[in-house]
This record gives sequence, structure tokens and C-alpha cells, in this order.
Amino acid sequence: MANSAAVAFSPVRAAVRRSARRRGHLLAPYGLILPSLILAFWIIGYPIWDVADMSVHAVTRFGQVRGFVGLLNFGHLVEAPLFLGCLVRTIVWTVCVVGGTVGLSIPIALILHEDFAGRDLARVIIMLPWAVSLTMSGIVWRWALDGQAGLFNATLHDLGILNQPVEWLATAGTAFPVEIIIGIIVSIPFSVTVLLGGLSSLPHDIFEAARVDGASVWQRVRYLTLPLLRPFINIALVLNFIYVFNSFPLIWVMTQGDPANSTDILVTWLYKLAFRYGQMDIAAALSLLMFLILLASTILYAALAMRHEDGQNA
Amino acid sequence: MTKSLTLLAGVAVFALTASAHAKEQIRVVVGYYSAATEGVFDGMAKDFMAAHPDVDVKIETVQWDNLQQRLTTDIAGNTAPDIALIGTRWLADFVHNDIAEPLDSYMTPEFRDRFIGSFLSPSTINGHVYALPVAASARAMYYNKDLLAKAGVTTPPATWDELVADARKVKALGPDVYGFALQGKEIETDAYWYYSLWTHGGELIEDGKSGIGSSAAVAALTLYRSLLDEGLTEPEPTGYNRQDIERLFKQGRIGMILTGPWLRGQMKTDAPQINYGLAEIPAGTRKATYGVTDSLMLFKGGAHNKVAWQFLDETAFSPKWRIEFSTKEGFLPVTKAEAAAPVFANDPQLTAFTGMLQYAHFAPPIPNWEQAADATIRALQQVYTKQATPEAALHEAAASVNSIIQQ
Repeated sequence: MANSAAVAFSPVRAAVRRSARRRGHLLAPYGLILPSLILAFWIIGYPIWDVADMSVHAVTRFGQVRGFVGLLNFGHLVEAPLFLGCLVRTIVWTVCVVGGTVGLSIPIALILHEDFAGRDLARVIIMLPWAVSLTMSGIVWRWALDGQAGLFNATLHDLGILNQPVEWLATAGTAFPVEIIIGIIVSIPFSVTVLLGGLSSLPHDIFEAARVDGASVWQRVRYLTLPLLRPFINIALVLNFIYVFNSFPLIWVMTQGDPANSTDILVTWLYKLAFRYGQMDIAAALSLLMFLILLASTILYAALAMRHEDGQNA
Repeated sequence: MTKSLTLLAGVAVFALTASAHAKEQIRVVVGYYSAATEGVFDGMAKDFMAAHPDVDVKIETVQWDNLQQRLTTDIAGNTAPDIALIGTRWLADFVHNDIAEPLDSYMTPEFRDRFIGSFLSPSTINGHVYALPVAASARAMYYNKDLLAKAGVTTPPATWDELVADARKVKALGPDVYGFALQGKEIETDAYWYYSLWTHGGELIEDGKSGIGSSAAVAALTLYRSLLDEGLTEPEPTGYNRQDIERLFKQGRIGMILTGPWLRGQMKTDAPQINYGLAEIPAGTRKATYGVTDSLMLFKGGAHNKVAWQFLDETAFSPKWRIEFSTKEGFLPVTKAEAAAPVFANDPQLTAFTGMLQYAHFAPPIPNWEQAADATIRALQQVYTKQATPEAALHEAAASVNSIIQQ
């Protein structure tokens, strides 16, 4: 009995010792990365905290923080005559650009995934705009769309579509749609890359099986490719949503929000508030608000997408 | 290891204090006007350092687009320079926030007398001079002599009525030429309309309130709108910024354009074939032009203000460097010594600008100027794109300018 107890006891103690050592092993990596974690949190967290702090104080145009004002800056922000218009245009801009980008990127990625002569060249051509900075694209488009000297009007004129030059960026009716289209064009390379990565990771055998079973091309796309591609489409949607919502250079270079603020979105207005008008406190409130909108909608979307995936798996 | 570190630190500290004792450094931040700017200011620094071997003058050139933001950041970080070149219209914000040093106690009557009187007024706020003008420009009308002659116009229009009549004749020449250029977007779109506002008897600020809703203002904008409706300007002006309309003028497609002295230099290099003349801005109920100055300022409580002032007094505002600066950069004289110098006195083209100076209006010293200007531009664009009548747009803009300047 005593013997057996001793026999039974010692493995337990050994296990305890082992688990303590294992716990040490488990904790050691965290201890090692702790300094970088703190640094990362500080680098990411400090600006957010600073903006939040500015948004509840009165701040002069020279960055001097005066008194605590509570939510007054948010009140001024919401009451500003331009706020609502900018918010609505931001939503239109984001939905149209992201929807258009992902909607166009899916067929483009499907085509580029097929094997055809010159595929590599086609891929390079689709990807090239990505290598050009947004500012540079904006400048090129601004010149191309110039009413008097632009290439765009010249082409349409030569094709007989236009008989009078159109100032594309001069009126609200054309400037904003044109900017949305260009926003889509410059966002496509990134989305196509994400989707192409997704396509190449899909298993070959089920497509073979579907083909053997006589599924048409459309049926294969509709019932195999798209459902399997869903996680990648979700990634493309969320990342594009964040980039496009905050996208400054295109609109700024092409119209600066003109004419009569008809192409101003929240982020271009934010720039004007902070760096032209010197209203640092209201700008901080706006930038915090934009951060919260982005955070909330991303979390909401991620939750919806995940629930959908779970539902499918079950 | 530790010993050598301590030693090194000691040497460094010694070196720092030694240099601080040996030389007083003043930092001057200036805006970039042209390739000549840095050379002119470096020349001033060399001159001053030769006379004061114990002072080190450091010149820093910054792009105009970034200058205001750069100074703002420096002030926020307590690293403001000793002397800064600013757009005089920003000065009200500096004074409002107690950042600019009042210069009255530094200025002797002799120093004050160096300036052509009206140029000190834009930088005088509540009776105190806060900055000194270095660069001045006024605006005038450029007209394409050949184009007007072809249309049968021999003398440039002196009034808006004559301008409308002449523009109609230019329009009759064909669809590719326009009588009058109308700027509709980006920087100084508001200024392009102020010419009309002021010549119609309007003011930007009347009794501390915005004057852009007045009947004179409505008349001024109605005139521009009728020019546009009649096809006497280029179509859809909201597609054209200042460079764009100047480019049309260089292409010989514009009869008359209102702009500053810089276009003279550009015409020489870009469009020498265009035969153009200069005239005063057309008169309405009175004559007027837009006077713009850039100024040098000191910062309140600056540790080196005494030496910085010496630099301004002895070098920057000496006749030699004033003439050098204004001729190289193409600005109008701000001091009497410059105006008397042969380069200025004997230039017939310049008289179109200098002759207008007595009628010059300057940007009013109100805080939040840029925001008020943007509200005005918004109203102009609504009218140029035919979304609103001059009256409705201007009344709305006047209300928002009022709330902006009272912040």
C-alpha cells in the first residue's frame, strides 16, 4: 500500500514540477515581447488618447490647450452647416467606391485566374496603377479631365461623342461621379490581388468533380467559387472600406472639395478645419468621430460576416 | 567605457556652452518666392554677420504652401524662429493669440519714415505695428493688344461698362476666344471678385461685420454672373484656377484678365509672342485694386529680439537690400528709397501697378481670415455654377462670415 502510494505519488509530483516548468516556458515568450507590446500600445494608443484629449478641450490654432469644454466641440461640429452634407457624401463615396471596386474586382480576378496567352502581361497591366502614388494618379487625372487641354475630352471629341468641351471637374453633377469612378479604378489592383490570392488557394479537386458532374461555368462560379471566396471578399470589403473612408489624396488633388463644397467628404473637410482654419479642437472631435464610425462599422461587419460563416458551417 | 562616456559628455557640454557664449544665433524663416529668394536672404545674413562677428544668422527657406503650418507647429512646440516672414493676412491670428511682438518701441521716427505710408497699415492692429512689409503687390488689368485690335478696340476699357462692350466685340471673333477671364476655383478666387466688389463701392468688413451681403456686393457679383451668362468669359469658370486663366491669356485666347505683377515675368519667358498692355482695374462707382503685402515679424518674448531687430533695421530694411529683393522677386517698392531708385522709377509698365496703390484695399485684419475667404468662395461657386442667385448666395455667406469672425 505504502509502496503503491509512493509509486502513485511520485509521478504526480513530477507532473506538477513539469507543469510549473511548462508554465514558465509558456510565460517566458510573453515576458520577452512585453517591452515591444508596451511600446506598440504606446505608439498606437498615445495619438488616439491625445486626439481624444484635444476633442474635449479648447485648443488654439497654435496647439495651445486652454480649458476643458466637455462635449462642446462635438456640438459645434454637428451644428456646422457643412457637417451633414460631408457625412452624406462620405457615405455615398464609400459605398460606391467600395461596392464598385469589389464588384469589378471579382470578375477581373476570375478572368486573370484563367489560363490564357498573355495572362502575365494582363496581370502586370492591372497591377501597375498600384505602383503609382495616389497623389500622382490624381494629378494625371486632373490634367486628363481638363476641359480645354485634357486628353479625355480630346478622345471623346475625336470619337464624335462630344462636340463641345465638358469641364468634368467644374460642376457638382460631374465632378463627384467622376471622382468615384477614378476612386474605383485606383482601388481595383489591391482588391484583385487579394482575390487572386484567394482563388489560387481554392482546392482543385471539387472543381474537377463539378465539371465531371456536368456543372456549367456559371454554376461553378455561383455555387463553388463565390461561396469559397467569401472570406477573401470580406477582407477586401473591410480593408477597402477603411482605406476609402479615409481617402484624402484623390479628392484633394482633383477638386479640394470644390465647387461650393460639393465634393468635400469628412476627411477633406477635416484637413481644412485643422490646417487651413486652425480649429484644432473641432478637427480633433471630427477625427475621433470618424475613428469611432470606422471602428463600429468594421466590428459590426466582422460580426455579421462571422455569424454568416458560422451559420454556413453548421 | 563609462569613463570615456563621461569624458565625451563633458566635452560636448563644454563645446555647446562655449559656442553659445561665443555667438548669438538668430533664426530667420522665410517663404520661397523664387529661385532667387534664398540667395538674397543669405546675402543679407552675410552682410550682417560681417558687421557683427558675434552673431550667427541662420536663414531657412520654406515653401509658401507649408509656411503657415510650419510656423504653427514651431510655435506649438516652443521652437518658434526669431524672425518669420508671413502673409500679412495671417497676422491677426498671431496678435489674437498674443504671439506677435509689438514693434512700436523698437521703431524710431526715422525708421517709420522709410516706408511708403499705406504699406504699414495692413500690419497695424489696434494702433500697434506688429510686422514690417517686405513684399508688396497690387493688381492690374492685362489686355491682349492684338486681340482687342482685331475686335476693333483701340483703347483698353476704363470702366466695367466699357469692359462689357469690348468683351462682346471679342466674343464676336469666334468660339475659341473669350473677352474676360473669370477665375472660379482655388487660391484667391475670392480676390478675383473683390476687385469688382471694391470698385462697386463695397467693403469686406463694415462696422465689424461682413460687407459681402451689401447691395454693392450683389451688384458686383451680378455683373460677373451676367458676363458669364452672356458667354463673355470662358465657360464653366469653376474649372479654372489662377494658373488656368493665366495660361489661357498666354495662349492668346483671353482679351482681358485681372492679376498681379508676376505675370509680367511669366509672359517674358512663356509667351513672348503675345503683345499685351497693362491698365488699371476697370472702375465702377470708384477705382480700386487689391493690395497684398507679406511681412517680417518678431515673436513675443523672444530671447534674441534685440539682435533680430538690429538685423531688420541695419540690413533687411536698408535701401541696398530692399532694392535687391524687390527687383529680383518682381515686387513693388515698399520703401521710399526703392521707389526713387532708377529701376523702379523708369519702368513704364510698373506704373500701372504703382499708380493704383493710392486706391489699394488690403485684406482686413480679422481672425480666421482663411475660413471667411472659403465661405465667400463657396458663395461665388454657387453663383458661377448657377445653383444660386447672387443675392441668396451672398446673404448666406455674409451670415457665415459673421459667425466666423466673431469666434
